[in-house]
Amino acid sequence: MKSSTFLSIFIGLYLIIFFGYLFGPLILMSMTAFNSSEFPRVSPWECFTLEWFDVLARDDALITGLTNSLIIAGGVVVLSVLIGLAGALILTQVWPRLRPWYYTIVISPILVPGVVLGISTLIFWDRLGTMFDARYDSVFYDGIFLTIIGQSTFISAYCMLVFISRLQRFDPALEEAALDLGATHTQTFRKILLPFLYPAIGSAAVLAFLASFENYNTTVFTVIDQSTLTTVLASKVRYGINPSISSLAVIIVAITLVGAIAHEALRRREQLKIERGEITDSSSAAANKMQGWLSGNPAMILLMLVFVAGLGTVWFGSQYSPNQCKVDVRLQKELLQQRQGPDIFSPQGGEQTQPQAPAIPDGSGSGASDTNPGRGTFGDVFDPGNLEEGEGAAPSGEGSSGGGSGDDGAAVQSPGASTFGDVFNPGNLEESAGTGSQE
Amino acid sequence: MNPVTVLRKFFDRHGLFVGGYLLAAVTFWMLMMIILPQLTMLDFSFRDNLPPSKVGGPEDVYTMANYTFLVFGSPGNPEPFNVVDLSVFGRTILAAVFVTVFDFMICYPIAYFLAQVARGGVARLVVLSLVVPFWVNELLRAFAFKILFGASGVINTFIVTIGLVDQPVDFIKADIALYAGLGYAYILLMIFPIYNAIESLDKNQIEAARDLGSPWWRIHWRIVMPFAKPGITSGCTMVFMLSAGALAAPQILGGPSSLWFTQLIYQWFNTGGNWPRGSAYAIVLLASCIIFVLLMMRLFKVKLGEIGR
Repeated sequence: MKSSTFLSIFIGLYLIIFFGYLFGPLILMSMTAFNSSEFPRVSPWECFTLEWFDVLARDDALITGLTNSLIIAGGVVVLSVLIGLAGALILTQVWPRLRPWYYTIVISPILVPGVVLGISTLIFWDRLGTMFDARYDSVFYDGIFLTIIGQSTFISAYCMLVFISRLQRFDPALEEAALDLGATHTQTFRKILLPFLYPAIGSAAVLAFLASFENYNTTVFTVIDQSTLTTVLASKVRYGINPSISSLAVIIVAITLVGAIAHEALRRREQLKIERGEITDSSSAAANKMQGWLSGNPAMILLMLVFVAGLGTVWFGSQYSPNQCKVDVRLQKELLQQRQGPDIFSPQGGEQTQPQAPAIPDGSGSGASDTNPGRGTFGDVFDPGNLEEGEGAAPSGEGSSGGGSGDDGAAVQSPGASTFGDVFNPGNLEESAGTGSQE
Repeated sequence: MNPVTVLRKFFDRHGLFVGGYLLAAVTFWMLMMIILPQLTMLDFSFRDNLPPSKVGGPEDVYTMANYTFLVFGSPGNPEPFNVVDLSVFGRTILAAVFVTVFDFMICYPIAYFLAQVARGGVARLVVLSLVVPFWVNELLRAFAFKILFGASGVINTFIVTIGLVDQPVDFIKADIALYAGLGYAYILLMIFPIYNAIESLDKNQIEAARDLGSPWWRIHWRIVMPFAKPGITSGCTMVFMLSAGALAAPQILGGPSSLWFTQLIYQWFNTGGNWPRGSAYAIVLLASCIIFVLLMMRLFKVKLGEIGR
């Protein structure tokens, strides 16, 4: 008993770590899409914002790439499903001694690195183009056409595997019966075999679409001077990045999640139907059916939750404006920069600040009555708008530094500030305030 | 059987329309998409880098120059071998092996759990959560790891904050980010073949071994693993091939000084502008992958059909 509890704890722990590894990076990446920081990161969390989605929507290169990707994916779906189906149907009819060879050849694109497939496609069509003296704007040098061909090389093999597994359950007697009853070959194919294969065609098409849409290794060679979503993404990720890529990732993750859960929910429903055969058929009350459907279907509940969360986010985004928060953060950053300021620019200024420095932030951080004089002094120098923001930013900026000397600080504060006012011109005063909040 | 009768029987069986479609599609696939492009690439890799006007001219002869370049470097090279490119090649292969072993170690327990322990809803949930990250774009997954491991990334911020280290650790330069990202990318391809294999294992065998007093590690070593060998081989082969042939993750997560072999190929095609040399490198990559597959098949005595899922 003891060892089994230990084992289950161990398994649980392992599962948590494993799925942490699996989801942690994706979750963090999704979070960066909502941080207003210019650089995709989580740790100095600045403001919640949806502006990166706007940036994303206005990114023309990305939109062009996306359009091309969709065109290519469409082409690949058609070509791969046709080829994969033919490949699977032929497999059973190849002369048995040739069959392993045939299988090896058509399955090999899956095992060949995508880079190699892309290169060979590019070179082959380039050679063909040279052979026919084709012009550079002809189909032989068209990035989209070449990408469709290059990707279909291996995606057809995926589709073929899907069809093979479905065909293994096909009863050839059906075909023979149709032929005996006088159907032509084409009719038999269309009326008997194709309907049997519909589910497989569906899943092969989805598989082909996804595989094409996310392919990079082959595409990067065959696409030549065009661009797809993945090549645009690659150049964006490698050079200058901002969180709009993360917001794209959020969209893709959300679509994937919804797709996967919906698929699971549908499958579950099918399963339930089979399990409780007549119950589902006879249940007349829609509500009753809905309830039973939901209770037996965690995936469906999850899907609805995701949906509600999505709606909530959109609503929140339309209501909420991060501008105030961003102004605060910018001010805080300015303060942060100015902290180092005096040390670098004038050692003299740095020395002068030293004794007075602790006074200012501690005052503003502690009791309001103590800080009043201080505020007044600042008020002479800053314009009112800046003052508010400055007050807002300062406490959080120095949160970790010890704020024990509240009373002393407040006492010294106003003379200190006025001294500054004498020494520096108003512009520099800001800097000294920044230095203060550092110490 | 002569080809004409074979063809006639084929068309008799399928009718002209369907038969024509089947034959045309498969012929196009095998010739125009698989065999001829590979042969063209092989042919191309034995040629000099000529401008289009000279292709087919008297200077267009076969040469080993591209392969000797990979091994010995340019003629003026002071070293006896092309140290830079060869070490990139060696490091790529070694790293791919490392990623494969890493993936196997983390995936085997999950596959076993999924196949033998988990039931019903839990199993479906696990499968679902395995599939979802896999369909997120390869580049975005690499990007996620860049955020995680970057100098101002989450891990660095965390370990600096808790005081484990003073300075941010350069995970990118140490290639840790790369290995983690590559391993992450191919988890699913390791789990599913192993899962498929273990699922068909009769539970009674495990219980019999347990009743006879075998410790858990010996049950795995002597019963589960030998039974799942085709799946393990298939998973390892897939992961090795894909990580050796990966381009996106090394481009994004690789350190500035460490290249992946595919990046060399990419450079010859793009910035280098020497396609024949790039093809030669690609052929070398392809050949080493084929050798690896054959080696695995020989070593673990499985057939290609089993590897292809």
